[in-house]
Amino acid sequence: MTLSRRTLLKTIAAGGAAGAAAAIALPAGAVSAEAPPPVPPDARGLLYDSTLCIGCQTCTVACQRANRMPSEKSVKVINGAPYLFPTDINADCRTVIKLYEKGDRWAFMKMQCMQCLEPSCTKACMLGSMQKRQYGIVTWDPVRCTGCRYCQIACPYEVPKFQWDSPVPMIVKCDLCLARKDGKTGSACAEVCPREAVIAGPREELLATARRRMAASPRKYNPKIFGEHDGGGNQSMLLAPAGVEFTDLGLPALGDVPPSRLAMNIQHTTYKGFIAPAVLYVAAAVAVFRNMRAERKADAAQGGNEEDRP
Amino acid sequence: MNAHARPVGGKIVTPFFLVLLALAATAGVLVGYRLFTGVGSITALTDQYSWGIWKPINVVTFTGIGAGAYGVGLLTYILNNGKYHPLIRPAVLVGAIGYSLGGASVMIDLGRWWGSVFLLYPPWYNFSSILLEVALCVLTYVGVLWVEVTPAILDRWSADGSSRLKRFAARLQPRLQAALPFVIALAMLLPTMHQSSLGSLYLMAPTKEYPLWFTGWLPFLFLTSCLTMGFGSVSAVDILAGSVMPGRYRTNMALLGGIARVAGWVSLFYVAFRFADLAISGRIGYAFQRSYQVPFFWAEIALFTTSGLLFLSRRARTDRGRLFTAAILALLAGAIYRVDTYLVAFDGGPGARYFPSVGEILVTVGLGALGVAAFLLIVKKLPIFAVGETRP
Repeated sequence: MTLSRRTLLKTIAAGGAAGAAAAIALPAGAVSAEAPPPVPPDARGLLYDSTLCIGCQTCTVACQRANRMPSEKSVKVINGAPYLFPTDINADCRTVIKLYEKGDRWAFMKMQCMQCLEPSCTKACMLGSMQKRQYGIVTWDPVRCTGCRYCQIACPYEVPKFQWDSPVPMIVKCDLCLARKDGKTGSACAEVCPREAVIAGPREELLATARRRMAASPRKYNPKIFGEHDGGGNQSMLLAPAGVEFTDLGLPALGDVPPSRLAMNIQHTTYKGFIAPAVLYVAAAVAVFRNMRAERKADAAQGGNEEDRP
Repeated sequence: MNAHARPVGGKIVTPFFLVLLALAATAGVLVGYRLFTGVGSITALTDQYSWGIWKPINVVTFTGIGAGAYGVGLLTYILNNGKYHPLIRPAVLVGAIGYSLGGASVMIDLGRWWGSVFLLYPPWYNFSSILLEVALCVLTYVGVLWVEVTPAILDRWSADGSSRLKRFAARLQPRLQAALPFVIALAMLLPTMHQSSLGSLYLMAPTKEYPLWFTGWLPFLFLTSCLTMGFGSVSAVDILAGSVMPGRYRTNMALLGGIARVAGWVSLFYVAFRFADLAISGRIGYAFQRSYQVPFFWAEIALFTTSGLLFLSRRARTDRGRLFTAAILALLAGAIYRVDTYLVAFDGGPGARYFPSVGEILVTVGLGALGVAAFLLIVKKLPIFAVGETRP
């Protein structure tokens, strides 16, 4: 048992060295963690104004038509009569209107992909299937997708949906009708909205519209534009009525830093230039080489000529 | 000492072996069915809980069990404790099997599994993806582990192969010997990378993880706990081998005693670190809240503490039963920490629930059974254990 104490100390040291890469990353990770993500010059998105929405769900229907989504799963039969009843976005439904109530306050909420400026899904995606492409819109490339669903784990809004009952499943999410299947262009939901509760356009214009509306009737609105800065900022943004918090609408409290930043700082610091792994590898190789040689010599000295194999 | 490793021999097809194969076949049928009907057909997975038990158990726990090769490798090759050599071959075999099963599970779980061929196409790599790093490391490491198993195959061939196999083995052995340090170094680097990254994966979901588990130290805690799991699995395997082959194989109690000491301190270090992290970051209060996640946290702490103390107890160094208990508890501790991080701590959103389906459980059990069957087959045919040395 002469080795035990030394082994112990050395193991802890080795464990420390092994974890050192991760450990160093933590304090170092603070660097530039706050920098806001860049806005693509052609960034387009949606602006949803909850104070104008009447909950008619025309947008949901138009979305399903424009993208040729089957609607069977969104239909619920109540007392023998079929109703369009999508309770949440799913693999057949990319946008939905929800009603949130809290006390005597209530508000509609339109759910669809937020088109983050720094999305978690694109950071998570192994082969770059999810990427910000034209107009900064996050789109899904079937060829590069392995169906791992890490985008679903990572998305703070739970937007990407997976076709669970297909042997050739796709990830389905709003792409602002970039690839509409009915031959038209533009976002179908904004096109049909009878109240301009949802409008589509360049992000800067949407922000300007939002500010104009809020300035015209400041008492009507929650003073914050959700998505201007939240989670680093989005291209699709929301306005809520005064007295209704965005968390009441089922949105996560993200702060102004993209939610993937902590992970990215730790990961990119640890693996910066692949230096730490390379150093670790060389150190391990030298240690193994020397130890194996020493052991062979010791074996030879003892008269045994056995080779040490693992 | 390894030169004394011999095939265990004996009948391959035993009733137990057939049971294992039946379980594996059941899993095979389910997987076949899933290929034509989609992932949802045999799983309870939903868009809210899109990763189920196949991830934390099949991938992360199987590879945790397989981390014995990493743990003992560190002790033997890096810390130069050559005495641990006799434990290496079984550990490497368990690792090779565990990691292969983990990789197979990923393929079953991937909705568009054919797309994974592009993991071999670097231009498409997204270097921000933690999952990509895990995938590439695990894939490479599966190969490395099987390369580490090949000396056993070559030994077998040079001992009683045909003359051609003997010549082939004789030609390959010195080359393998020369390459081994570089292979082993890779076998030390890759688990350091992916075992930690298996924890980092959930750093991407800060709003969904229960605060008791969400910490920037996730990678470090996963790395630490893979060591205790690895030491646990090495000890359990060696004790089991001694128990099922009485008179032919003697459990290396002296070596396991040394490992137990390390495993014990690492386990207790894990617990201390976990609490220190919670206290410093001000999240310790969550451990005393009324929430269904909290009992899981304390179970985790209890398992790590108990196995750690048992490992360190003086009697564990002589008492096989006690050491075995410690080893199994260490495996459970690591397993529950993994399941907690991946499932218990994960909030899929309001109203979202997940409990594994019968299909998922059967596939997990079947893959485990396949692993045990493969291990039994290989140790009977290849020189893995130093059998036939014990004197009554």
